[in-house]
Amino acid sequence: MDDYTIGVLSNIGVVSFVALSAYLLLLTGEISFGQQAFFAIGAYAAGIATALWGWPLAPALAWGAVSAGCAAVLVGLPTLRLHGLYFAIATLAFAEMVRILFELFRYQVEIDGEPVGPDGTEGFRNIRYIFDHNIDAVQFLLLIYALLAAALLGFVLLERSRTGVAFRMIGEDETLAGLQGISVARHKVLAAGIAGALAGVGGGLYAHLTTYVEPRIFDVMLGVHSLAYGLIGGLGTAFGPLLGVLIDIGLLESIRVLAGYRMIIFGGIVALLLIVRPRGLLDERTVHGIGDLWRRTRPRRRQPGPGP
Amino acid sequence: MFEVSDIVAAYGKIEALKGVSLKVESGKITCLLGPNGAGKTTLMMTIAGILQPRRGSIRLEGAELAGLSPARIVSRGVALVPENRLVFPQMSVQENLLAGAYQRRDRAGIDADIARMYARFPRLKERREQMAGTLSGGEQQMLAVARALMSRPRLLLMDEPSLGLAPLIVAEIFDIIAELNRDGTTIFLVEQNAHMALKVAHQFFLMEQGRITFSGTPGQLAEDEVIQRAYLGSRRAAG
Amino acid sequence: MVDLVQNTIDGLMIGSSYGLLALGFTLIFGVMRRLNLSYGPSVMIGGYLGTVVYLQFGAGPLVVAAAVVVGAAVAGIYVERLCFAPMKAGAAIASMVSSFAIWMQLEQAAILVLPRHTYPFPPLATGAPLELGPFSIRIDHLVMLCSALGLAAAVQLVLYRTRFGLALRAIIGNPVAAHLVGIDVGAAMPLAFAGASAVGGVAGFLVLAVDQQVTPMFGMWVTLKGLIAMMIGGLGSVPGAVLGGLLLGVIEAQSQWYFGPQIRDLVAYFVLFAVLAIRPRGLVGGTFDASMPQKA
Repeated sequence: MDDYTIGVLSNIGVVSFVALSAYLLLLTGEISFGQQAFFAIGAYAAGIATALWGWPLAPALAWGAVSAGCAAVLVGLPTLRLHGLYFAIATLAFAEMVRILFELFRYQVEIDGEPVGPDGTEGFRNIRYIFDHNIDAVQFLLLIYALLAAALLGFVLLERSRTGVAFRMIGEDETLAGLQGISVARHKVLAAGIAGALAGVGGGLYAHLTTYVEPRIFDVMLGVHSLAYGLIGGLGTAFGPLLGVLIDIGLLESIRVLAGYRMIIFGGIVALLLIVRPRGLLDERTVHGIGDLWRRTRPRRRQPGPGP
Repeated sequence: MFEVSDIVAAYGKIEALKGVSLKVESGKITCLLGPNGAGKTTLMMTIAGILQPRRGSIRLEGAELAGLSPARIVSRGVALVPENRLVFPQMSVQENLLAGAYQRRDRAGIDADIARMYARFPRLKERREQMAGTLSGGEQQMLAVARALMSRPRLLLMDEPSLGLAPLIVAEIFDIIAELNRDGTTIFLVEQNAHMALKVAHQFFLMEQGRITFSGTPGQLAEDEVIQRAYLGSRRAAG
Repeated sequence: MVDLVQNTIDGLMIGSSYGLLALGFTLIFGVMRRLNLSYGPSVMIGGYLGTVVYLQFGAGPLVVAAAVVVGAAVAGIYVERLCFAPMKAGAAIASMVSSFAIWMQLEQAAILVLPRHTYPFPPLATGAPLELGPFSIRIDHLVMLCSALGLAAAVQLVLYRTRFGLALRAIIGNPVAAHLVGIDVGAAMPLAFAGASAVGGVAGFLVLAVDQQVTPMFGMWVTLKGLIAMMIGGLGSVPGAVLGGLLLGVIEAQSQWYFGPQIRDLVAYFVLFAVLAIRPRGLVGGTFDASMPQKA
């Protein structure tokens, strides 16, 4: 596999985390334009851990996830009462505040006589962990996808679990869910925390993949994109957002010829797609349909019937 | 004068109306009774054009209404007083009435009609500049009726006018309904309060699970049986 | 003290355009009940049309303004037809994401046609600033303020004294009831969209003429400013939009003067977040409850 393909695949893997993050919140019925904030927090936290504090990669990534998750819970609490558009804009405001705070954030430590660390708008350079430890591109790619697979497994288990059902019920009708005895507030905060942590993992991976992050990257565009991936790929399954990322980055990035017109084409396709499939390609109906088809094509066991 | 034939209407896969047919006679009050979920509001919304029927026909004096947009249906002389009143909350009583006359251009006629509404509903006149959202339930109901009347409809549809109102107000509303009919308005009315409805209706239909299961005049069925089926549905329909 | 007052004056001036931007935004949301993320980009398309007219024909400010308004309105109708009209009721998120996709489309199309980082715009007015004691007021700012207030008054007039305005307010008040009184809601929507985009176009022109340049970032800027001002004032409220805009302008002017442009933006977002957390209805209080249809 050539470097370019590895790069694109790594990118797809990393962005998938933010897409899944936005998707999880969509399940509970909330639109978030702000998951990029947790992506950023995860990136900076993990990067600081390895580059400034000398931590190994695994705990650094965990630290990134935990920081992002906690931040998400902290934001989730004052916004609990908000719904729909109000919640969405609150997340946008929060994410922009985080981005600007990173523009003002300077934390540098001298390592080998050189200052290393986040330097405001200049960004955070030299997150060189994978180079210093001779991890090559393919190995890191495998790490990204291993973590992504774990996340997907988590989603599959979640969809079958009571918590997952509770999330979807809250997404359908919050009042009704509450009347059924589901603690809506607790579940929403839980969802926010998990979603934040997910984005945080992606951020940590991103920081080490590119070795350099700057606040400019974590803007509204990234946030709305993350949301869009779920809508395009489909809201019926966690594979939906991944499909969305694949379509955007994978398909269109690799058609270099169209690169200059990428958004014009992509934008038009998305708009047309959403007219016929307002919940994405792999929407709930399609996923159920596939499930039914699968069940029907399984060989039937012979049933002992009543007497002749 | 007004005829619904074999109307089928659905929400996605769920068929709410499974072939509804009924007739409303000119100058009379016709009432549609039935338990919750029978499809009564769906029928009203379909007649008003908010919901499009899958099959069937709706004719007002011979002219086909099924498939027309709600605005065109209003122009043909059908006005609906919807369930839950649906007044324009941030607009005044006066403005709500003007909105009811939206399709009319005859300023003098509109002003005269508004004066007439205020004469019939003095409470609305007192509150003419007040925001409709701040009116009481009964006042909103009167406003919704007056607003619908502003388009000078040939057929007035009413969906659950007594919903959520205190008994005294309900009595008042039904007095108004009877009075409107005496003055010549043809009324087709959906009601949960079968007792009050049967007092004013000349004819009634019973709807259960998307179908008409009975039609007749008050007195043809013992009132208790009607009321029981209106609230609970007949055992046959439920089975 | 002098600074405080000067900043307030400057803030109110620029805030008046924010108010217009918020006005367009709030009208669209009121009628559609959905967020149009292509609002800013539509205004940007107008701006780009304006600069083309300026560069190609050396047109004066009034002609350029007309071009901006037309461009914004046409872009607005394009967005409405593609992202909002075909969506069934309840597909609110789909509409929003669709409008985002078109945002990207419009932005890239604009950059392809006019690839430079910045393009010139004719000035709104020339002349020395007015001196009132220790305070100075720029002439172009004054023109902007008067135009913005004039247009806001015109919008108010249309809404409250015309039949079309009555229809819009009815749709905003209760869309089903609007159908029931015989309003052709389907025809009113694109008109309202075009009108709101045109209002945004005027606001955009005023800002661009004061800035004397247009950049591809303008679309995002308009969306964000309009959004913040709208939410501070209260979703769906016309006076709220104007008040929110003025307030945002003053807050920004003060923050920028004392703390610089980054803190300025930080404060703006913080105020927005605080308003949403404490009083989501906004300062004037809009006509909407806190929910937006979730189901696609």
